[in-house]
Amino acid sequence: MAIFKKKTKKPLSEYSTGELILFRFKKNKLAMIGVAMFMFVTIMILIAPLIRPYSMVIKQDIVHRLNPPSKEHIFGTDELGRDLLARILYGGRISLFCSLAIIGIAFVTGAIIGGTAGFFGGKVDTILMRIVDMLMSVPSALLAMAIITALGNGVWKLVLALSIGQIARFARMVRSSVLTLRNREYIEAAKCFGSSSWRIIMKHILPNGIGPIIVSATLTLGAVILSISSMGYLGLGVASPTPEWGTIISENKVNIQYFPYLGVIPGICIMLTVMSVNFIGDGLRDAFDPKSKR
Amino acid sequence: MENEDRSVLEIKDLYVQYNTDDAVVHAVNGLNLTLKEGEKLGLVGETGAGKTTLALSILKLLPDKVGEIHSGSIVYKGEDLVDKPESYMLGLRGHRISMIFQDPMTSLNPTKNVGDQVLEVINLHFPELSSAEKAAKVDEMFRLVGIPASRKGEFPHQFSGGMKQRIVIAMALIAEPELLLADEPTTALDVTIQAQILELMRKLKEEFNSAVVLITHDLGVVAEFCDTVSVIYSGRVVEHGTVEQIFEGEDNHPYTKGLIHCIPSLSDTSKRLQPIPGRMPDPRNLPEGCCFADRCPFCREKCKTSMPEPHEKDGHMILCHLYDPKEDGNA
Amino acid sequence: MPEDNTKPIVEAVNLCKYFKTPKGQLHAVEDVSFKLFSGKTLGVVGESGCGKSTLGRTILRLQPATSGEVRYEGENILKYNRKEMRKVQQNMQMIFQDPYSSLDPRMSIRGLITEPLEVQGAMKKMSASEEKDRVTEIMEMCGLPKYYNNLYPHELDGGMRQRVGLARAMILDPKFIVCDEPVSALDVSIQAQILNLLLDLQEKHELSYMFITHDLAVVKYISDVIMVMYMGQVVEMAESSELFMHPLHPYTRALLNSIPTIDLSRRNRERITIKGEVSSPINPAPGCRFAQRCPYATEACKQNQCLKEVGPGHFAACIEGAV
Repeated sequence: MAIFKKKTKKPLSEYSTGELILFRFKKNKLAMIGVAMFMFVTIMILIAPLIRPYSMVIKQDIVHRLNPPSKEHIFGTDELGRDLLARILYGGRISLFCSLAIIGIAFVTGAIIGGTAGFFGGKVDTILMRIVDMLMSVPSALLAMAIITALGNGVWKLVLALSIGQIARFARMVRSSVLTLRNREYIEAAKCFGSSSWRIIMKHILPNGIGPIIVSATLTLGAVILSISSMGYLGLGVASPTPEWGTIISENKVNIQYFPYLGVIPGICIMLTVMSVNFIGDGLRDAFDPKSKR
Repeated sequence: MENEDRSVLEIKDLYVQYNTDDAVVHAVNGLNLTLKEGEKLGLVGETGAGKTTLALSILKLLPDKVGEIHSGSIVYKGEDLVDKPESYMLGLRGHRISMIFQDPMTSLNPTKNVGDQVLEVINLHFPELSSAEKAAKVDEMFRLVGIPASRKGEFPHQFSGGMKQRIVIAMALIAEPELLLADEPTTALDVTIQAQILELMRKLKEEFNSAVVLITHDLGVVAEFCDTVSVIYSGRVVEHGTVEQIFEGEDNHPYTKGLIHCIPSLSDTSKRLQPIPGRMPDPRNLPEGCCFADRCPFCREKCKTSMPEPHEKDGHMILCHLYDPKEDGNA
Repeated sequence: MPEDNTKPIVEAVNLCKYFKTPKGQLHAVEDVSFKLFSGKTLGVVGESGCGKSTLGRTILRLQPATSGEVRYEGENILKYNRKEMRKVQQNMQMIFQDPYSSLDPRMSIRGLITEPLEVQGAMKKMSASEEKDRVTEIMEMCGLPKYYNNLYPHELDGGMRQRVGLARAMILDPKFIVCDEPVSALDVSIQAQILNLLLDLQEKHELSYMFITHDLAVVKYISDVIMVMYMGQVVEMAESSELFMHPLHPYTRALLNSIPTIDLSRRNRERITIKGEVSSPINPAPGCRFAQRCPYATEACKQNQCLKEVGPGHFAACIEGAV
């Protein structure tokens, strides 16, 4: 009989904060759909060698150029007869992981700069924010181009170049949220029983200010995927024949009018990824906020 | 009948509710109120008692779609406002009924100078005046509320809280309304400034002879300013009477008594306060019987099951089973 | 003030706090001295902007003082380094005015109450069950039901939040608490509950309070000694009943006269309404700062005024026009 006994449910008051956050996140349907979609995309990309060998990405087959989706080529072929499925699977590796890395680097650096500026204020704030202003005054594409030209081509150099362009916006955002939170009485209360600045930032300011920043980070992801591809189009960073979602669209742009699947399929891939990340971001924001409905 | 003619405002059996996504919030539950011409009525109650909702209902400024006057009547000078269209209310608001809000900053436009803001009210209500007459009226109003007319060109942020409240009062009174609703007009101010503002309102009331409804949680302010008092609890008037009946009388509603015992006295020392235990019932889920039953020291079985009837004596109304004449008079 | 042979628990000596503003130096707290004895309450009253909150924060070193000393059990804590300060912080706590913004909305009630223990490293010395007992004990002491443990601040009303704030301050077992307008945001019936709780805790634990408020009735109820501040300066200080019976400074008298009470016999009293408003003490001229609004002001008021002992334990900066 014991086997049929349901796992005893703890009363709500026994859960820890972490468990409650997870609980709230799991209850959010849209976020779970986002997680599922994102997992699907990630797994497909990771198991790409099992589906198509890498050789198919660059193997040209002029006879079968511009074939619409068929049994042999599920996503069809492009103007050089390359298998689109293979290109998308391997291209996803660059698009997804580079954009995540870019957001990650920009987020962390921006948070440190903005957080320091906002929390300590005064001269520190002035100096840091003027540096950020300098970064902002240069168009991010131009800045990235300059950096890549200086450092030379390569995926990691591209990541570095593009993340520097994004630091400014994160720094600004984190700073403004820190500024509004800094004068709350609970921060003062924490100082009162001897919390260090580090603890106040990590324990009180970050959790309270992070919601909108996470959402904005997820929204930036789409833009970053596109800027990787525009860099690729200019021959910087990722260049043909190395596939990447944005590059795939741009190299096929001449044929999209008559062979729309060439644009639609990679477009859907970008859209699904961005959407899933947005859903996850929204879910996280709500889960961190105890005021959201249980 | 003569008595009825003199009443400015008569609210009968008013029910107001907020329909939110989760639940229906019963803010006002069968409230009765009569206000005579030139009367200064104090409306006292704690947060969530329905004071502000009542004021907004009179002006029909309840939040769209959410707030709803469920039933009852609000008769202003013989006209029931409940089913009047918005166009009718527009002519009433600011002209015949004015309201002063708690936070003077939110009722002033930060981008316009205060003279223009007062002028705007005049333009709205006295379009027939010439511009010289209008300007004279603005100056006159500034003089009345005690602000030098030379400060007309300044912006709201250049004034202190008390000064801003004076400007708001100027705007509320310029059309010489018959009824003034003041929602916590001095709560955000310091005591010495509060004394100035109350003095000003007292003086202006003499000048314009408007009826005033002063909404506040501060019994002291009511005792200083008002002629009559209505104590509100959970959206009902639980006691109504003159200030003497309320503050010096023998018979009071247990809630009123409780409130009075909660205020530290300035004259006698070393007596512990007697707080009212518990808190107001959840307006989403009101009890069946008397709303105060849970916190009442005199609560009996009957109180938990049936709503008391109002008992009136010399214009002093108490809504409590204790004063039920049918009961064995142990009250 | 009580005799000097007992040692005060908290003492301020000529404490000053100036802020730099674009318009000049703002003298928020000017030359404030007081002694607070164990188990007693010092009430600080004044209108907004008189520097009473700044005084409270300066005493706890939440803001650096410009000059002067703050002594805890005879030692000047303004000279303490971080480690020493952290230790003394166990004994000096604060409760705040706004029950909404003084609790981190992302933390559960239990998390909020245990945080000071965590920060002070006391948790490491305690076993999990000891810690749990301690929290339960404190929550019970402050009238918080046990099931509140995992609720969040937004689920509680103002009174209950204020109890949580008090529990958080009490968990380190402090000897001195600065109460910055702890009941101003509450309804009267809830206010009375909190005031009584504060008094109960004081009796049980020999607590000393510095009670900052603008509400004179509240300050009279809870304080032993009252300090009246105006524009950063102390204008009068006396024992509670003495101050209310014989207010001497023109400002104190006007202030007391302005309080609306439910005593109807005061309705027709002669009203001393003081004109004008408080301005901020930026680069103040020497002399009485109340002079601009004072009905008794003369040329002599432009001279520097200092607190004089005018009766036993009764200090006032000016007694002009007192009866």
